[in-house]
Amino acid sequence: MALSTITTRGPSRPRRASGPLKLVASRLLFLFVALFGVVTLSFLLVSVTPGDPAELIAGPVASQDQIDAIRADLGLDQSLWQQYLDYIGGLLRGDLGTSYYTNLSITSEIGNRLPATLILIALSVVFAAVVGVGVGAAGAYFRGRWPDKVGRFGTSLFQSVPDFFLALILIYVVFFVLGLAPAPTGQIGIGDVRPEKVTGFITIDALIAGEMGTFWSAVSHLFLPVLTLGLVYAAYFAKTARSTVGKALNSQQAQFARAMGLPERTVLRYAFVEARGTIVTYAGVIFAALLGGEAIVERIFAWDGIGTWALQGILRLDVPVVQGMVLVAGAITLVTYTLLDIIVGLLDPRITHG
Amino acid sequence: MAESPAPARRREPGLTASRWTTVRRLVAEHPGAALGVTFIVVLVLWSLFGPLPYDPRGTDGSASREGPSGTHWFGTDGTGGDVFSRVIEAAKIDLSLALAGTAVALVIGVPLGLAASTKGKGSQRLVRGLDAFQAFPLLILALALVSLSGNQLYMVVVAIALLNIPRYMRLLRSEVLAIRESRFVEAATAMGASTPRLIFRHLLPNVWGVILVQTSLTIANSIVVLSSLSFLGVGVSAPTPSWGSMIRDGAGNMSSGEWWIATFPGLAVLLCVLAFNQLADAIGDRTARSYR
Repeated sequence: MALSTITTRGPSRPRRASGPLKLVASRLLFLFVALFGVVTLSFLLVSVTPGDPAELIAGPVASQDQIDAIRADLGLDQSLWQQYLDYIGGLLRGDLGTSYYTNLSITSEIGNRLPATLILIALSVVFAAVVGVGVGAAGAYFRGRWPDKVGRFGTSLFQSVPDFFLALILIYVVFFVLGLAPAPTGQIGIGDVRPEKVTGFITIDALIAGEMGTFWSAVSHLFLPVLTLGLVYAAYFAKTARSTVGKALNSQQAQFARAMGLPERTVLRYAFVEARGTIVTYAGVIFAALLGGEAIVERIFAWDGIGTWALQGILRLDVPVVQGMVLVAGAITLVTYTLLDIIVGLLDPRITHG
Repeated sequence: MAESPAPARRREPGLTASRWTTVRRLVAEHPGAALGVTFIVVLVLWSLFGPLPYDPRGTDGSASREGPSGTHWFGTDGTGGDVFSRVIEAAKIDLSLALAGTAVALVIGVPLGLAASTKGKGSQRLVRGLDAFQAFPLLILALALVSLSGNQLYMVVVAIALLNIPRYMRLLRSEVLAIRESRFVEAATAMGASTPRLIFRHLLPNVWGVILVQTSLTIANSIVVLSSLSFLGVGVSAPTPSWGSMIRDGAGNMSSGEWWIATFPGLAVLLCVLAFNQLADAIGDRTARSYR
């Protein structure tokens, strides 16, 4: 397979399109199979684990008849296989069932909450990437000197701090002591009015509605959660950037560039290009890890995203909610990984396609 | 222990340094890991045998939410419990669950990883499958397992093990695949070494380093998972103090200024995790030097 990759460079050869196309096709095939696995696992997760949801919904004083009625209503009295087929059938129609407690449709709940989570995650990844790569690259460039030492100390500290603890510390320091951030009341302040829903992203909707007060409030409410997640995940970026940029700076390529008398700026730029693939991969992996991984931080900041929703669902055994969350997070993760594979594969001609 | 100075005959010039010198050299080379190990040892010994100033499960209505002082070193929580005594006491349950989860993951993950370390199609598919498994929001998965099982403590151990078995498998597979290529394995195979001999005499001794590093990292990670779970009220429950549930108790007080209730248990988690991470770094440094 390595051959076809090399030949992609020859513009006149007929195989030119086959490398990338084949890469995309094989990744998409894997995506399909893996998605099926995610669906099955999210189904099994809840059907196989002990604990009867019907008893839970009915409450402690319910009679056996009432519990049986609820079981029949939920379809829990059918065979596992029949339940599985029903689940997949519903999924194909875009129907993920309704919450046991609120009776709201899972699909619309996810639709309403996903934007809040996505904006939080996206900004955190960007923050983490910029800070982390900066610190890591500085550490690699000044290896063994003070910027490196400070950077490595910060990296190991932030890598060890649980995100929910950092969130609390930041709330105490930045909100309570310094008064620089608003109280952790969610996406907007308690007094603010939620703008009319257009895109679902509050900041954008506020801009569309022309409500600048709400817009700035939404931006300031993003500050602490993004800082929390950004700092924790910047540590991972810094560690990776330090080793990859360091390796690139020590490569023959960089030595040659220096020997040729190219300015340090250019040498650094070359090193970044070489480290690019790894860093992009990392950004994708962290984006995926944050989905669901940031649930506790969401909860602390009363953030109205899918993380808070999923936690609540799990803690009261709201089975369809748990399934919905596992499905969405699993699917988005797999799609991210697939896109990553394709992007990195196309960025770097040295990676074998196939 | 190694603290006693070695007898003089051991200090002969040449290759054998005394144990005391070795310990001192180790500490000088890895100060972070040495501090970390000291912290963990002191914490464990104190929680097991040490006297606590107050009953960690006790309450005192007259002294609720008092700041750190001479009487209550780390202050008191909402019910008047002494935060210091509770932080020390919680080390018992938190560290033992983290260790148990790690041990289970190690015992299951390493043999599975060895079994999967062939070049066949099957084992490649298995690794792809593990990738897909790791694509799940793992914390959510752990939460679901523990809370759906009715909050059983052994499920916490199972959850931690489940999250980490794939990591051991991947690590073992990649390391062993690389070693399988080398000459000495080829030579052993050619001389007719049996599979167990190959595994125990040739493969395992060469991957002990990475296994130890991974184990130290896994313990650190398990402490975080565990405290996340009990922060959410899952796993270790009420009268038993755990760091996560203590942070949960004090979380609301952070925005009203009573910082000590959540901060000290949080620091305990942070320092333990930092200690095991530093230990992992140090082990990694040493084992990498010895055979690479």
